Amino acid sequence: MAAKRASVIATLVLLAACVSQRDAPAGQATVDSLAGLPWDSVLARARGTDVVWRMWRGDPSINAYVDGWVVPRLRDRYGISLRAVEGQGPELVNQLVVEREAGRRTGSASLLWINGETFGNLRREGLLAGPWSARLPNAAYVDSASPIIMRDFEQDPAGYESPWGRVQSALIYDTIRTPAPPRSFAELAQWIRAHPGRFTYDQGFTATTFLKGLMYAQGGGAARFAGGFDSTRYLAARERVFAWLDSLRPALWRAGATYPPDVASMHRLFANGEIDFSMSNNQNDVVTKTRQGVLPASARAFVLRDGTIANSHYVGIPWNAPNAAGAMVVADFLLSPDAQLEKMRPDVWADGTVLDTRRLPAAWSAQFQAIETDPRQVPRDTLAKYAQPEVSPRYHERLAADWRTHVRSAVPQRSGSGR
Amino acid sequence: MSGRAHQDASRGGLVGVLLALIVAAPVLAGIGYAAAASAGILGASADGASTARITRVLRDPATWSGFVWSITVAAMATGIATFAAVTAAVVFRGSRLTDRIGLALAALPLPLPQLVAAALGVWVLGQSGLLARLAFAGGWISAPSDMPALVYDRWGVGLVLTMAWKETAFLTVVASALLATRTKAAEDAARTLGANGWATFRRVTWPVLWRGLMPAVVSVFIFVAGSYEAAVLLAPSAPLALPLAIADRAADPNLARRGDAYVLTLLLLGMALVAVAAHEWARARWEPLAE
Repeated sequence: MAAKRASVIATLVLLAACVSQRDAPAGQATVDSLAGLPWDSVLARARGTDVVWRMWRGDPSINAYVDGWVVPRLRDRYGISLRAVEGQGPELVNQLVVEREAGRRTGSASLLWINGETFGNLRREGLLAGPWSARLPNAAYVDSASPIIMRDFEQDPAGYESPWGRVQSALIYDTIRTPAPPRSFAELAQWIRAHPGRFTYDQGFTATTFLKGLMYAQGGGAARFAGGFDSTRYLAARERVFAWLDSLRPALWRAGATYPPDVASMHRLFANGEIDFSMSNNQNDVVTKTRQGVLPASARAFVLRDGTIANSHYVGIPWNAPNAAGAMVVADFLLSPDAQLEKMRPDVWADGTVLDTRRLPAAWSAQFQAIETDPRQVPRDTLAKYAQPEVSPRYHERLAADWRTHVRSAVPQRSGSGR
Repeated sequence: MSGRAHQDASRGGLVGVLLALIVAAPVLAGIGYAAAASAGILGASADGASTARITRVLRDPATWSGFVWSITVAAMATGIATFAAVTAAVVFRGSRLTDRIGLALAALPLPLPQLVAAALGVWVLGQSGLLARLAFAGGWISAPSDMPALVYDRWGVGLVLTMAWKETAFLTVVASALLATRTKAAEDAARTLGANGWATFRRVTWPVLWRGLMPAVVSVFIFVAGSYEAAVLLAPSAPLALPLAIADRAADPNLARRGDAYVLTLLLLGMALVAVAAHEWARARWEPLAE
């Protein structure tokens, strides 16, 4: 009788486990089930599977690196078929929210390219699986001393995302048209006044980063904004930023009546000679864009002495990832020294590494040190000298929203002139 | 009608309604979702049922300036396209080679994706575009950048011209088909009764043409007003065209504001419904007079 009762209880427990497993979101369930297993088990489970990676597909250099270099190596080494599909920040969050509302415990993508406010939104909504990133063998090489890598817009990744690369915002100028570009926000203001109609900034993420750099410069440095969002401090800094912009507005392109929609439009206006500066959140964008012919050969990047914002980008696994094991293997491969080195090459993508090259085996370390630099690149020591960290994503959100309300919508009386 | 025929007709009507429902279901589901998201019940920024979001968005002056700008630009582009299409269809309605070539050229932009048409608009009308370079080469302006701003401009000139050019093709095809199939006999009768060319056009051709063309004109107006691809390449940042404002809100870094996009979507949908209803009202009023 007791044996029969035990058997019934065991069956019920098993059924409950099955039901709970069925109801658990696929990505989180896999991450949990792999938690205590050796890495070889993850590799075995990933072999022969497909991984769908939602990422920004707007740069041919990045696409070529992923499709032409990463994909074949994952197939050959791990038997993983990686498919990179379009999907960036806000879209990722919206998609996952809709999938959650539709009750899709097994979603459409296993890996996401994220950072900053997208990571914050996904974490806040509980749409990321984790923690898992500390399990990756190559995580041992990550530059754990760098706050720019270990904090994503001041947020602790907490194992819910794995670093992939790092970038630093920069302005782009033409060495022929502007042989002596301004080197600080004060000099930039003078330059804009002296060259009416030749400077602008876009309405998107890149310009918000530029404005945050201005906010640091006007507000006493990045350190004053560290430690979470402070409304009082933000409002005071915002007033200074908008006052700076308002004072220059008549001298901006189209008298500040309109702004290019995105950084691609900025590049086009710059290349066509309508404006004298473009900008990018990747200091090496100028290298790939001049090679592609998007920007003139004489274009170069530079950073202002007031400092420019550096940040990292990451990969995350959604809560309902259909193949979290495969996604972990892909994330580990992306962190590997050979994948990071290839990505860093100026003729590939020129994306900064997140590895501490001193921790690597000597042969790899030497290769990183010897990597050929492009004369169009901003020197590494200059970048390091002027790098400033990101602060709470709330600053980004508020500045973007307030700029739209207070600057973009406030059309000056005189508008539509040709200059 | 016999009982069996009546039964067949009822069954046919029921099938028709079912098919219409299948077609309409995704649209109705979308409207339902947008309404729920606007009310804070669903979506990324769901925060409990409330009309607060709807009120906030509808009280924002930027919403209405973008709305008015969008429908003004759409009306202008549609008006120009309609005029050009009717002119092309009437002028090239014969069967000569020049007529066929003329019609083919007018309909040429039809297969172009809207994004390509918009990119062509930038390439031709931008301050570093073809027109500016030609004007500079011709000595009319001292530098290409002296060209008046036609792209990202306050009045949407570039967007109006580009969309008018693109939509002329569609309306020309519709107008040509109407002229070929619905006016010939009546025009012949009018001429037989002694009407001259202008009187025939005014009394016979034009009434038939505009009544037949109006559904297509309304469609073009709604399509242009809701067009994102062209607006993102050609429209200014202020006032922000409604389709751009929807995309802007849907991708807001602040998750709590993304629901605003659904309110704006419903506003755009409301505008489309009003346009269709106005057309139906006008049709019901004018068509009996034509019989």
